[in-house]
Formats: sequence, C-alpha cells, structure tokens
Amino acid sequence: MSTTRKLLALLAGGALALAGNAWAHHSFSAEFDADKPIKISGIVTKVDWTNPHVWIYLNVKDENGAVANWGAELGPPHGLQRSGWQRDTLKIGEQVTVNGFLARNGSNRMNARTVTLASTGARPGATLDAASSVGQEAPAGGDAPKQ
Amino acid sequence: MRLALTALLVLVAVAFADPALAQRRARDPKLPPPGPAPRSATTGRVLLGGATPADKGVWTPMFGITEPIAPYDTVPFQPWAKALYDARQKSELEPHTRCKPSGTARQFLTPYGVEFVELPELERIFIFDIGGPHTFRTIYMDGRSHPRDLQPSYYGHSIGWWEGDTLVVDSVGFNESFWLDRRGLPHTTQLHTIERFTRTNAETIEYTIEIRDPGAYTAAFTGGFALGWDKGTELFEYVCQQANYASELMVGGARKSVDRSSPIVP
Repeated sequence: MSTTRKLLALLAGGALALAGNAWAHHSFSAEFDADKPIKISGIVTKVDWTNPHVWIYLNVKDENGAVANWGAELGPPHGLQRSGWQRDTLKIGEQVTVNGFLARNGSNRMNARTVTLASTGARPGATLDAASSVGQEAPAGGDAPKQ
Repeated sequence: MRLALTALLVLVAVAFADPALAQRRARDPKLPPPGPAPRSATTGRVLLGGATPADKGVWTPMFGITEPIAPYDTVPFQPWAKALYDARQKSELEPHTRCKPSGTARQFLTPYGVEFVELPELERIFIFDIGGPHTFRTIYMDGRSHPRDLQPSYYGHSIGWWEGDTLVVDSVGFNESFWLDRRGLPHTTQLHTIERFTRTNAETIEYTIEIRDPGAYTAAFTGGFALGWDKGTELFEYVCQQANYASELMVGGARKSVDRSSPIVP
C-alpha cells in the first residue's frame, strides 16, 4: 500500500470515528464523571431497549461475595442499531464486562463505552461498541461534547 | 499529488458529515455526487422533502451535532449572557436533556433528524422532530402576521414565505426554557429569529439564522450550518420521555429524588 493510500485509509477511519461521536450522550459531564473510569463484570439481569438511551443491568459480585445490581447506560437504540446491535444482542444471564464511567450521583450507575462478552459462550470475547460518548476527548475548542 | 490532496479533502469533508452519509460513502466510494434539488412538478419550486413518495429521507446536521451557530468569539454577548454561556460549559444542564422541546437552531442539532412536511392546500409547513419529545413546529405560510401578546413557547410563532428557492421563516414569542444550540447560547423572550432554508442540491440544505435579541446581545448576528439528507431514513418513534434518567443522574447524592421544586426540573 502506498503512503498516500495509507494516509487516506487512516484519515477515513479517523473521520468515521469522529462522525460516530454524533451518537454521543447529551450532557455527559452533568451526569457522569470522566475522571472516574470503571469496569464491572457480571451477569445480565435486564435489557431496557428504550429511548432516549438503552440501559442494561448486571448483577455484580464484590470480593466478599456480596451481589449488587448495576445499571449501565448505552447509546440510543437508533445509534446502536447503526452500529450493528439488535435489541436481543445481549441475553439475560450472559456474563459481560462493561467499561465506562461512574455516575456522579453516587448510585450504582455508569455510562458504558464498551461491552465485552465473556470468553466462553457463543461469541467468545467479542467487544461491542456501546455507542455512547464516554471517553471522548474534548474538541480543540475545549467544549465538552454533549449528546 | 494535487489529485491525492483533493481526494483527501473531499474524503474528510464527506466523512465528517452525518454518520449515515459518511458510512455510505465509505462503503461505496463510487457513489455519484449529489444530484440537483428535486422540484415540484406543479410549481417548479424546490422541494424540502423527497421528489416522490418513494424518495425517503430526513435532514441531520451535516457537520455534526455540536456544530456552533457562529464562532463564539464573534457573538455580541451582553455580559450576563456571556457569563451564563460560560457557566453552561461547566454545568451542561441543558433542558433538552430532560426531554424539553428546543426551538430555532437547536431543533435541528440532534443525531436523529427532522422532516419538512409541506401542505400547500393548508398553507402550512410542519417540521417534525425525531429527537426530543417527539413534537413538531408549525410554519404558517398564509400571509398572516404574528399575533399580539403571544404566550411565550418553546417553538414560538413562525410565519414563512418563499424568496425564490429559499424558505424564509420569521419567528417570535419564545420562552427562555431552551438553549439556542448545543453549546448553550442563551436568549430572552425578546428573541426574534429569521431563518433561511436553501436546498442547494439533493443532499444539502444551507441553513442560516439571524438572531435578534436585545435582551441578551448587543447587536443582531447571523450564523448557520448545513443539513444533510439522510437518505432512506424515515421518521421513527423517539420519545425522549420513555425511560429518561437524566434528571436523577444530574442530581447529587444528597437529594434522593427530583420534583418541580428541584434545581433540576424533571
């Protein structure tokens, strides 16, 4: 591949990634803390395929064996569908790991960046883009991205 | 080399457009350039929708939903309006997030799109939103004037007319319960807008908005952005209120719930 072609491919990929920010969460920093990344693993207990954002809920076991239910906000259904998701992509009882950022209000809530399926199962180890805004860099102007 | 640079610029411009358009271009780089804007068979005037019932699409912001109306260092803020704008950069407590309707330019700055529905026999144009609380805006095309003593509202009162192929919409009567754009431009009930919609080809509407608000700005100013035709997408149900937890998530841990007395109104 020539240098020009490589550059073209790189720019196209980068531009598409930025275009994907259009699905970003509204008022992200009002609800979630970009300085508090979090990773949780657990069993899917519920999938709310609803507007304005899809939420999934997991039972997460801590180091003492206590189970707590967590909610993770994903992108809107329309955006997730364009990323290849379906409303039944995640199954109840499935083991997943969610990467994202913690809610500011102290609850067991987070905004998801990716959802990774367990290493065993029908789709071992697949990582799905949660189509949300978490982890976005602020644009050059310094304004935090919204929705 | 010049050809390669041109190709780069075109590719980047296309890819930064709305995601659907960018993705289509990426999948099929041989897509032909946009055709001319469709025209009415009866009046010859440019249409803001499809050319035929089978020609489906909605309009989304071509260069992203955080597109500013105008460069903010050129906006003639009054001091209080600049202070409020600056505060909004930190708080991000936008009413739209809590499913409130958003008038003027903010109506178009969602990732989902709008459809213009022209009803010549009723002398009205409706703008149907997908994003937000699943609502619509009415533009009266029958030559009426704005009523006196309007009750301030989210979309205000809009009257429109055609100047050649440009739809001109004059609006007043706004409440203060929304942001003019996603970045947080403020306004008062004195807001008066003049919007112009010019479909320059099958895939583009050039949108400009003149903002006159002596309550918030020291002078009138004009801004705008381009809307892109998201071909194949039809209006779909997006009811923001369905399962929106933004109000709860915006409230700190000390407050257990929100109501009409809360700093963040649900």
